Amino acid sequence: MAKTGMERLKELEKEIYKCIHCKACRFAYSGEPSREGIGEFTGKQGTVLYEGMVDACPAGIEYGWEAFWNAGKMWIARSILSGDLEFSEEVRDVIMPCITCGQCSSQCENKIPTVDIIESLRAACVEAGIPMIEKHQLVDKLVKQLNNPYGGKAEERFKWAKDAGLGKYINNKNAKIGYYVGCTASYRQVEVAIATAKIFEQLGVDFTLIEDEVCCGSPFFRVGAVDTAQELMNKNLESFKNMEEVLFSCAGCYRTFTIDYPKWMTNGDKLPFKTMHAFEFLSNLIKEGKIKFKPNKELKGKVVTYHDPCHTGRHFAHEMEQSMIKKSKNLMMDMRKIDNMIEEWFDIPRVILRKLEEDVGIKFIEMYRIKNNSMCCGAGGGVRAGYPDFSLRTASLRCDEANAVGADILTTECPFCWRNLTDANELYNHGMQVMGLLEMISKYKLLDISNLK
Amino acid sequence: MSYKLADDKDLEAMIGIVGKEYATNNKAITASYLSKSVMGLEAQIPDIVVRPKYIEEIRKILLYCSAEKIAVSPISAGLSGGFACPTIKPAGVMLDLGRMNRIIEVDTDNRYVVVEPGVTIGELWAYMHKNYPEWAPPVPDGAPPASTVMGDAIDRGFSLYTSSVGPQGDNFMCGEIVFPNGDIVRTGSWALPFAKPFYKYGIGPDIWSFLMGSQGTLGVMTKVAVKIYPHPKFKTVVVWGMSNPEDMQNLTLEIGKQEFGIAHNTVMVQGGNYPLVMTRWPKDKVPHDYEFYEQLGISKWWMNWECWAQTQEELDYVVNKINKMAEDFKKNRAKDPDSIKPQELHPKQIASRLKKPNKIAVPYSFWEAGFLFITFYTPWNECAHFAEMYTAAMEKYGFPPVMWIASIERCRQAICMPIICFDSTKQSDLEKVQEMNRETTEYALKQGWLNYRPDPYIHAPLTYSQAGMYWKYLRTMKKIFDPNMIMHPGRLALP
Repeated sequence: MAKTGMERLKELEKEIYKCIHCKACRFAYSGEPSREGIGEFTGKQGTVLYEGMVDACPAGIEYGWEAFWNAGKMWIARSILSGDLEFSEEVRDVIMPCITCGQCSSQCENKIPTVDIIESLRAACVEAGIPMIEKHQLVDKLVKQLNNPYGGKAEERFKWAKDAGLGKYINNKNAKIGYYVGCTASYRQVEVAIATAKIFEQLGVDFTLIEDEVCCGSPFFRVGAVDTAQELMNKNLESFKNMEEVLFSCAGCYRTFTIDYPKWMTNGDKLPFKTMHAFEFLSNLIKEGKIKFKPNKELKGKVVTYHDPCHTGRHFAHEMEQSMIKKSKNLMMDMRKIDNMIEEWFDIPRVILRKLEEDVGIKFIEMYRIKNNSMCCGAGGGVRAGYPDFSLRTASLRCDEANAVGADILTTECPFCWRNLTDANELYNHGMQVMGLLEMISKYKLLDISNLK
Repeated sequence: MSYKLADDKDLEAMIGIVGKEYATNNKAITASYLSKSVMGLEAQIPDIVVRPKYIEEIRKILLYCSAEKIAVSPISAGLSGGFACPTIKPAGVMLDLGRMNRIIEVDTDNRYVVVEPGVTIGELWAYMHKNYPEWAPPVPDGAPPASTVMGDAIDRGFSLYTSSVGPQGDNFMCGEIVFPNGDIVRTGSWALPFAKPFYKYGIGPDIWSFLMGSQGTLGVMTKVAVKIYPHPKFKTVVVWGMSNPEDMQNLTLEIGKQEFGIAHNTVMVQGGNYPLVMTRWPKDKVPHDYEFYEQLGISKWWMNWECWAQTQEELDYVVNKINKMAEDFKKNRAKDPDSIKPQELHPKQIASRLKKPNKIAVPYSFWEAGFLFITFYTPWNECAHFAEMYTAAMEKYGFPPVMWIASIERCRQAICMPIICFDSTKQSDLEKVQEMNRETTEYALKQGWLNYRPDPYIHAPLTYSQAGMYWKYLRTMKKIFDPNMIMHPGRLALP
């Protein structure tokens, strides 16, 4: 039997009660107040001192009230469990504008799985009969009708592949590697899908695009529509059941398959295939010395920075941490191993960026808030659909940070981050190029596979 | 005393003062201000929360609430003086001062910085670190970086310099306070319109000291001038371990008595016992036997001396002197000489201990689910007695015997803090904590030990019941500033 949101919330009771309202979760680098930074920068959203700890909870920054910062939400969850507060539209309107970026969880010394708690709180709110906000109702309706939240027709899901001459990979029967494209790259940021598929092709990966692919369910897990999400999950599990490995180019889809599915599947069930993001795939080949990049005059000297998507960054880091904590018999001795593992995880895209710096001649410069302390792009958690203005202001805050290091190109590895950062870049005139990392490699034909045997 | 429940009409009045963006009775928002941990286990959801920005708004709110007899509880922005003193019965209006977050002035000649209540210690530290690296504010150690400068001041807390220069309240020069009678009072030299905040006792007698420890029961502090100190480059941490709190107390006292040159350079003197390390991890994921900690080089008890000096020579002198005194104590006066030994710290451990501010006091919820700091002041030479009494009580009630002790003003006082790690999801645990709290408080008061940040239902009433005359005058003076007794009623056993 699949779990309900309230059941998940009750399971998390002890975690919720660990919150002491210390509010470290409000800041990036909350444990590093002397961290050397890049000083003060005035951008399109105001002035930020990028030194030491910096306010980093998008909802808290936007709305200000305690309820919108993470600690406030932990105490709302506690009040619900203790019966001091009942679900209502007021509660919904406070718990929904949260991007579930997980910055808060990264700061928490008590290791509270805040994203899990907020998502369970939302699911329990929906179960309690509180209607979803109108915009979420709309996407819920769309996905029920068309299996994607954008209103795209099912038969057009892989139009990009046909148009790009990649049609042979659709339902490629012998392949045991699936490329799960996701809705955003299929219907909106087709550049990401094309770039990824072309790179796979160039690398000789025998992969398949599965026509029965439907939305991964990510937006619905995030906003509490878990029935919808689980229905989509079951369809995808059926469609991909014969795969040995599934590759992704979308951070959100990758997170949903890898982290959410096992959590919401029937107890004890495991994914029938391995999962991997394309950037891990590429990064591994670089580490093995199998691929390199070609020099490029247009890119040489360009300042490139990288935005860690929450879904492939922090959320995986938290999952690793929680699972290691569960397994550990002596956490005091194991914690360093966990920290090292997380550091290695965040280094994966940076292996690619450093190689690009070495071979292509780009200048890779990190923003102030990176890795576990990265500032969110503002798109996730149902916020882009539900609260577009807030979402774009948050993306613009992130673009400000890229401007602060003089970036010509802001790269990322998630079509949803790409979309939001691109929109903010244009709306607020940040004057950069926003690009997917794989898209950059594909667009400028940087891949050199001469070492690949 | 009876208070009016704040209703929609009162919300309208608040909106009229601060605007509709900054006053609410939204049930989710008001519930989010709860906090039942760290310093107390009771809290009440406020009826209305208001987020003023300007002093005049606060004055109008207090005048209104006083006229209507609505209780008001102020919080700064973070833990100290904020969520550590949440609204309790009868609820009423909570003032969230987080929007008042300006660092107004830094004066390095007169050595002060002026801040509003919402400025967090992490923000001030980063600001000073970037713009005035030669100077440091007296930030608390252990209180998380999100706690506020002001909150720590009002609580007379423990900070970076308190071991050397005295209670945290003494680090504050002047303040600006709004009282519920509508008066705005500036203390110390600030009482004169054009004076800098250079003299705490100002035109005397001193009103500032009266506000120390008031926990929001007298008025709303809207601005303070806090001392800043030189931030020298030469720092280290010296640690000596021992088997018992008595040796810890006596060795530390001997060093503390070297007031000039030695104890003055030991900006922070704090120690504790090995469960202080153990309980930072989940109960079922860490060894409980002392042997494990012994293998890691952790003594049963220890004391840290964090030394700051202007030159390497000065630092060497201080470190050598502490070590020499410890050797002499071990040889001649220790109760258990064999257990007394220096703890060699890895440079990373030293760097970690020197980091300010830090989150060192936060992870005690990791043990189970919730914790409580119960803090007392004792004369330094009684802190071992306190530690023995309290650790025994914790073991009796089934809690790990976690004890932290720090010196205030070169061992004139000790701040002793047992940390009660428990499962706050269990009612039976909550009852046990409070039973132990009552029992130990009764014992402590008989010894003449005082609570730091007394909780409203055990510490404050038990303490004031033994200090009737003091309470009588406290109440009388409160009545002058707060004629209808609206400020944080019940918090200090005051109506």
